[in-house]
Amino acid sequence: LPICPDGGTNCQMSTGALFDRAVKLSHYIHSLSSEMFNEFDERFTPSRRFLAKSVMSCHTSSLNTPEDKEQAQQIQHEDLLNLVMRVLRSWNDPLLHMVAEVQDIREAPDTILWKAVEIEEQTKRLLEGMEKIVGRIHPFDLENDVNSLWSGPPAAQSADENSRLFAFYNLLHCLRRDSHKIDNYLKLLKCRLIHESNC
Amino acid sequence: LNGQSPPGKPDIIKCRSFEKVTFSCWWKPGSDGGLPTNYSLLYRKENDPKVYECPDYETSGPNSCYFDKAHTSFWIFYHIYVNATNALGSNVSDEESVDTTYIVQPYPPINVSLTVESGRYDLLAKWLPPAMADVQSGWLTLKYEVRLKEEKEQEWEAHSVGNQLKLRLYGLIPGGNYVVQVRCKPDSGHWSEWSPESYVQIPGGGKKTD
Repeated sequence: LPICPDGGTNCQMSTGALFDRAVKLSHYIHSLSSEMFNEFDERFTPSRRFLAKSVMSCHTSSLNTPEDKEQAQQIQHEDLLNLVMRVLRSWNDPLLHMVAEVQDIREAPDTILWKAVEIEEQTKRLLEGMEKIVGRIHPFDLENDVNSLWSGPPAAQSADENSRLFAFYNLLHCLRRDSHKIDNYLKLLKCRLIHESNC
Repeated sequence: LNGQSPPGKPDIIKCRSFEKVTFSCWWKPGSDGGLPTNYSLLYRKENDPKVYECPDYETSGPNSCYFDKAHTSFWIFYHIYVNATNALGSNVSDEESVDTTYIVQPYPPINVSLTVESGRYDLLAKWLPPAMADVQSGWLTLKYEVRLKEEKEQEWEAHSVGNQLKLRLYGLIPGGNYVVQVRCKPDSGHWSEWSPESYVQIPGGGKKTD
């Protein structure tokens, strides 16, 4: 039970404090994702110029997320919260796969493995926190449809090592991108809902 | 022939967004082959097979393309290349894949002010975010770094201050002449340049001896 300021056990964290924690977590997850992507990119991809061109679209690209400031500021906060939850939930299975896959990659440094595990754990915590926030602001249930967004590892299982490395590179690229979206949207929501757009 | 030839290969130098709303790209022309040479910047957007041409060759100066907010999206790749053409032929640059999320480089912070706390040797440095950076809505989140040194010294002393807009510096040398600069960085992107140098003298001429 949370320890209350006055020592009691029946206090409730304010929505503002919940948002503060969520934004700290989303920022942390994105910076870890960026570091992991850059580390993997430097170590495993012989010619980045080639790979950037042939990056496949992410499993979340079908979600209609805002792509610029105007879209992000015009969308209703319930809809933006809804999108954040859908993107977060759609990463449950891919993150489990990522942690398992990185252990099969020969010469993958421990720092990449550690980051993968840490991201998977912190994303679960962020999801829990967001469910609390959503429960207060705009309770809705989305359990079913997002898990089907990810159709499993593409060419990873049976193919040669190069294809597996490229599939993993693509997953890290999408994780970096989506974690940044989540972080940015949460910062927008926090400013809008907690600070009346005056951060 | 008379020394004329097809144009040399242009080279895309960099792309930058200064406020995460618009962005620009710059290229370096190759040789013009002694003939009038025309340049066009062409691009594709991720998940879109169409090829588009640069919407504005003027706003960001020579050899540049400016993408206004109507032509700028984030969290996607722009695949960009430059074509050079003259009467004897053409040449094309390597293609650059740009994820606009990671090219944000804000302008430096503004209105840096330095205030010496009366009767003490402490300094309060304050500043504001760059003019066009929308930090209020949360669209852009900046962290700051302050550096300080005595004018006559070489080494800077750096302080990371997160998203604060002020910093108190303690225990400066009485009578010392100090110079201060501030810079900022988005959560994904590049450090800005340093702000112009701001100067302050700490009162009390009696210099401490080491």
